Amino acid sequence: MKEEVNEKNSHENVQESRNKVVIPLLQHRGVICEPLVSVGDNVKIGQMIGKVDHDLGAPVHSSVSGEVVAIKDYAHPVCGKMQSVIIEYDQNGDATKFRGNKSANTGEILSALKESGIIDLDGNSIYFKLNSGKLIDTILINLTNEGDLYSNFTSENVPGIINGLRLLLRASGASKGAFVVKKNDIQTISAIRAELGEDDNISIFQVKRVYSPTMLNLLAKEMTGMRVPITGTPADVGVLIFSAYGAMTVSEAVLEGIPPIKINVMVSGAVNQPGLKRVVVGTSFREAIESCGGYRGKPGKIIVNDIMTGTSQFTDEVPVTKATTRIVVQSEDEVLRDKTGPCIHCARCVDVCPVNILPGFIASYADIGRYDECEKLHAQSCVECGLCSMVCPSKRHLIQLIRYAKHALLKSFMVLQEKDSPNLKLGCGSCNSPCHMGAPMILAEGK
Amino acid sequence: MKLAVSHPPHVKLGDTIASINAAKIAVLVPVSLISVYVFGLYSLAIILVSVLAAVLTEVVIQKVQHHELTIKDGDAALIGLILALLLPPTVPLWIPIIGALFAVAFVKLAFGGLGSTLFNPAIAALVFLNMSWTALLAVDSVPHITQYSDLILELGAGRLVEVSPIALIGVLYLIRKKYIEWRIPLSYLLTTLVLAVVLGEDLSYVITGLLLLSVFILATDSPTSPVTKDGRIIYGIMCGALTVMYGYFSYNYGLGSLYTVFIANAISPFIEKNTYPKPVDEVTA
Repeated sequence: MKEEVNEKNSHENVQESRNKVVIPLLQHRGVICEPLVSVGDNVKIGQMIGKVDHDLGAPVHSSVSGEVVAIKDYAHPVCGKMQSVIIEYDQNGDATKFRGNKSANTGEILSALKESGIIDLDGNSIYFKLNSGKLIDTILINLTNEGDLYSNFTSENVPGIINGLRLLLRASGASKGAFVVKKNDIQTISAIRAELGEDDNISIFQVKRVYSPTMLNLLAKEMTGMRVPITGTPADVGVLIFSAYGAMTVSEAVLEGIPPIKINVMVSGAVNQPGLKRVVVGTSFREAIESCGGYRGKPGKIIVNDIMTGTSQFTDEVPVTKATTRIVVQSEDEVLRDKTGPCIHCARCVDVCPVNILPGFIASYADIGRYDECEKLHAQSCVECGLCSMVCPSKRHLIQLIRYAKHALLKSFMVLQEKDSPNLKLGCGSCNSPCHMGAPMILAEGK
Repeated sequence: MKLAVSHPPHVKLGDTIASINAAKIAVLVPVSLISVYVFGLYSLAIILVSVLAAVLTEVVIQKVQHHELTIKDGDAALIGLILALLLPPTVPLWIPIIGALFAVAFVKLAFGGLGSTLFNPAIAALVFLNMSWTALLAVDSVPHITQYSDLILELGAGRLVEVSPIALIGVLYLIRKKYIEWRIPLSYLLTTLVLAVVLGEDLSYVITGLLLLSVFILATDSPTSPVTKDGRIIYGIMCGALTVMYGYFSYNYGLGSLYTVFIANAISPFIEKNTYPKPVDEVTA
């Protein structure tokens, strides 16, 4: 787990034209698309250029008009390298005709979402989330994640976000919708209130902590009181959680028929004019940073999305994808070069842990391969927020070691885990009325 | 352009083991200076000899064993300083040398070094010295805080740390920086005061510099106290109860608090094992 410094592989990019965008054929968690175009083809703005017939697929669209110059492996912000369509753009700005549908029914909404291939910030396709076949009764829009909030919850987007929630309610058949807002975030609350007006189905909830995209199971538990199985998703308890970005793209895709080809990116850190930029998908990080006045000083590290859990980049010639909301540049002296020391049991990790486990102990057991002890200490409950690693004075790699233990447990305790998941045995614990999930009723003796 | 590539998180708090230990040493410096004022330069000699002996012991052992040198984290120096503060100013200079050697070699490094200690090294060394050379370790007087000025300067101090309870005020900074955490000191101090009042004890014998050192620095020594939140409160209450038990019968709350922490160190793993927290998503049937 040593820090590595990679030389930027600059040779392949310098000679090429600068007027190009790079559209990776995989921009979500799922199956890679087959390219629908070949080298030399002309494409228009919004034209579908990659598609795959699979539940876990999400099509990709060209964000510019121009000529396809190459289809090859290219740097990708999350996957390292990925097959991408490289388009040299012209000034024509030819666009496909976007057909919106103001009064779409459930089927039309779903097909619009499928065609536009929109994805949420956690990397999952929104169509796949809605189409899971599970009964959904609540839709939540998570407005606690600051990166998402700053980038996408701008005043002109608020109507779109509320419309997106209404469309998601209609598409999923859920009866209740809610915005989850951090406590005392008065600005956000009043912005929603002003736009929302009277709506019985949609409410605003205030919560105490920030829920990053990895902590959605915990948010579902907080809002409904029902425990999500360790390997499950909030959909297992009838809840779907989307980001502000997700809701906004849903309303764009359905009401206006525009696939996600432009995205708000917050550029911050060691750049001259940090700020919010609206860029087309496929723009390189270098161009986004140059539009913010370029680097301030010598860059040391470029991080995509979240500074706590985001991926660091080995080059700045990496395209902005449909799920890029934030680019953070660290200067050379900000780059962490800590040395790991022994655990001194200071219990800071215990004090910050949002799910009340003992991160230091689990990490120490994972380090020596005692996954059985990790399981006893509830390693699988970890939501990978990264707080324990951040506060550790010994700079131990707690989150990495816990992930390692979780992975090992999935491999070795598969049967035991299913049997032991309390949710599968106990359900939500309130079997007085017929289950809204359609589960068989659990008798009192079974508890 | 070279970019660093690493795993998340990409920001961490700046606190390190070295900075925590440095802050603890800084908090103990005022009381050390006042002890030099009260007892003369000989107490400075005790402090320096003790710190040097602790650091040298660590260097020699780690050199011989070809381990990485860890004196830069300041832990050995802190052990030496605390040990010196626990001694009366009348001991011959070889006492702190033997004590520091025992603390670092047998109580710290033999158990695996920093973070793996079972007992607080300074207390264990004092207990060892007390058993081996009882007459040399005998104190001339026991502090008795009769007026408010004694909180600032207590001339009846028997040990270096007892010269000024108020000089330990820096521990509040440590708590604020979360270098020591509040559950143990709060529950320990409250239990001690409440029980002492209930038993009709004279608080002027209870509040001594040594007791405050035990409450804020020794009991909160992280490797030897429980990590669980509930465990820390139980640990503090147990420390308080044991201290009052010892002090009520021996009229020496200071030394009682030292032996208390020593015994509590031994019970700490047991408390920890029985107070593992329930994860948030656990179903309580």
